Amino acid sequence: MEFEAFAERVDGIEAESGDIETIERVAALFETADAELPVVARFVQGRVFPAWSSRTLDIGPSLCYTAIARAAGPNVSADDIEARLADRGEIGAVAASYEFGDQQGLAAFGGGSISGLTVDDVDTDLRALAAADGSGSQDRKVDILFGLFRQCSRLEARYLARLVLGEMRIGVGEGTVRDAICEAFDQLPEAVARALQVTNDYGEVAAVAREEGQAGLDGLELDIGRPVQSMLAQAGTAAEALDSWEEAAAEVKFDGARVQIHVEAGEDGGLGEVSIYSRNMDDVTAALPDIVDVVRQSVTEPCILDGEVVAVDDAGDPLPFQHVLRRFRRKHDVDRMVEEVTLRLHAFDCLRAGSEGLLERPLVDRHRRLEALVTDDEAVADLLLSDDPDELAAFEAEALEAGHEGIMLKNPQSTYSPGDRGQNWLKRKPDVETVDLVVTGGEWGEGRRASFLGTFLLSVREPETNGYRTIGKVATGITDEKLAELTELLEPHITAESGQTVDIQPSVVFEVGYEEIQPSPTYSSGYALRFPRFVAVRPDKSPADCETVDRIERLAESQ
Amino acid sequence: MFKAIVSADTLTDALDSVSVLVDECKIRLNEEEFSIRAVDPANVGMVDLSLDAAAFESYEADGGVIGVNLGRLQDIAGMANSGDLIRFELDEETRKLHIGIDGLSYTLALIDPDSIRQEPDIPELDLPAQIVLEGNQLDRGITAADMVSDHISLRVDEGSEAFYIEAEGDTDDVDLELTSEDLIDLTAGPADSLFSLDYLKDMNKAIPKATEVTVDLGEEFPVKLHYEFAEGLGHVTYMLAPRIQSE
Repeated sequence: MEFEAFAERVDGIEAESGDIETIERVAALFETADAELPVVARFVQGRVFPAWSSRTLDIGPSLCYTAIARAAGPNVSADDIEARLADRGEIGAVAASYEFGDQQGLAAFGGGSISGLTVDDVDTDLRALAAADGSGSQDRKVDILFGLFRQCSRLEARYLARLVLGEMRIGVGEGTVRDAICEAFDQLPEAVARALQVTNDYGEVAAVAREEGQAGLDGLELDIGRPVQSMLAQAGTAAEALDSWEEAAAEVKFDGARVQIHVEAGEDGGLGEVSIYSRNMDDVTAALPDIVDVVRQSVTEPCILDGEVVAVDDAGDPLPFQHVLRRFRRKHDVDRMVEEVTLRLHAFDCLRAGSEGLLERPLVDRHRRLEALVTDDEAVADLLLSDDPDELAAFEAEALEAGHEGIMLKNPQSTYSPGDRGQNWLKRKPDVETVDLVVTGGEWGEGRRASFLGTFLLSVREPETNGYRTIGKVATGITDEKLAELTELLEPHITAESGQTVDIQPSVVFEVGYEEIQPSPTYSSGYALRFPRFVAVRPDKSPADCETVDRIERLAESQ
Repeated sequence: MFKAIVSADTLTDALDSVSVLVDECKIRLNEEEFSIRAVDPANVGMVDLSLDAAAFESYEADGGVIGVNLGRLQDIAGMANSGDLIRFELDEETRKLHIGIDGLSYTLALIDPDSIRQEPDIPELDLPAQIVLEGNQLDRGITAADMVSDHISLRVDEGSEAFYIEAEGDTDDVDLELTSEDLIDLTAGPADSLFSLDYLKDMNKAIPKATEVTVDLGEEFPVKLHYEFAEGLGHVTYMLAPRIQSE
């Protein structure tokens, strides 16, 4: 598929606001993608590598600006690109504002036909870029990017730039791609959803759906070494749990970092490599040699485990999440940090034991397998089965007393659904979580609220660019009286108006409560708040004190 | 089979000419010569190098191809003093290259040649103008142009029989005129092309300043830069695609 054809279709998708129409357009794109379908299914989400892979392009914005400047020349500098970015707000628009193609390639003089850039060419070059390392690799990365940009039309450049920086922002999330695969290749939603859950590779699933149909999708399985998304929990109470299930399985809710542990089979029937992935499926094995040791010593067969690592003090009592972070993702001085921060593993689920996938098995069975498979009892979280609200309340009090965050309540008969935040896992925490966000926009209300700002667009800071990135809107938790007050506060800062929508100069900070932070293709921070609600204005805080993109990322990881 | 002894200076000159464009390359170990052809990742600049068997103290090869990391090989060559000899022997079994420098042995792991970018075809170009000048004259023009711009124009004026190296910056301009008296040789013809200095600067780094450089030039066509080293037994040709001159 020509990259130009891809860009044209993506442009149509971006311009489409209806959900159903978007799915139809993505499906139509998939139908025309031919052999490059797997790549197209990833590109449309702004990915080069499958979702399970922790490989990234690892290219900083400044390298991308340099490459664009070189292709845009003569005498365009990376600073010019940054200046235009400040003006236009988005790298795709900046790239599309230049006429590339002045730099000829040698192929144009080689006698052969000059073929346009294909999706496959872009994929090959971006993978080569990701693989470049060692001295001089930064220059080579710029060369490769320059080589791509110089062959781009304005439209191609727009989406290449976004793809390179991982910010496609065309309103296509994972759900859209899933639905488009169903639509394009006439497959059942459940079959596609399951295949995506176990493989985490939209490209592979799209290709299998097209070529092998449902039988192929059903044949896809969990693989050791290919992480899947973690199953997630909603907020809930013991009363709700007992109402729905009669009996609840309760566990301590650890204030640590979620890990997924993959233990491969070794050559001689023993155990092979141990890999540990974060909740975002990043490979964090190198930072956690002590956990790898624990796993090696206590696991008896190849498996995939789900669990949490928690930092503990000298007495073995849990320390807050921040301590775990000092260990996670660390690349240097790992040994010293192992000495400084002691971690404990609490495995609480088993997704695969030996060659057997356990996702479809009830929780209690999986837990039984887990206990049989891990010989070190300390490394396995206890599971309390109870139908007694008092017993659960006592369990919760005990967990809090011991310094844990709360408790988890799980449906004992539920299957494991990767990435799913369903009703089968509930978390019970005493505190409401809040973040401080700056107001960067809003919308006038309707009806009796027409003279007030009724919805507020919230942003986090991006210190690298001194800019702000959106994270969501808040409209609930605010009385009419409060709305009037907020409007009065914000109105002087309005910089632009278009219809009901206004832009607001970052100046006012809101404290906002939320249930959960989730990845989002809609907002430019890449995250959105689940159930945001207004808590208070923070006159004591300036925009410089509000949360950063990095912190949101860390909060998201700690959930 | 590959077994050779070469002076450190000759090897360094050869490697430097290629490493300005790529990090990894294939080396063809032909019976009569050692040769490398590579194109940069953006497909804009290429190099074609050959080093005659006679440039080596001794040379035995039978047409094999090896893939090398140039930076690694340059580092090893850097361990030799000027005038030292470097010995190579390829172990076909392990696909490793044994390198010896005055008691120091180094075993270099080779790269699978198939994993390296394909060698480019050399475009057949009929370029109407030819300029022969000294490396340091070219260097002077490129250095001056770099002060004001990131692009450089190379032009021959048929009327005045002169070669011009010019650069236009946002505010400042540079113009180096080299008449046929200044040049070693000039074949005038219609020639005017614009090039990215990023590439030309890198190529210029590898060109010895005291050497004779032949520049083949056309109208909005790639430029060919040719020079010799190792007493005429080594040949390097660079080719660089132009930028369209938008007025």
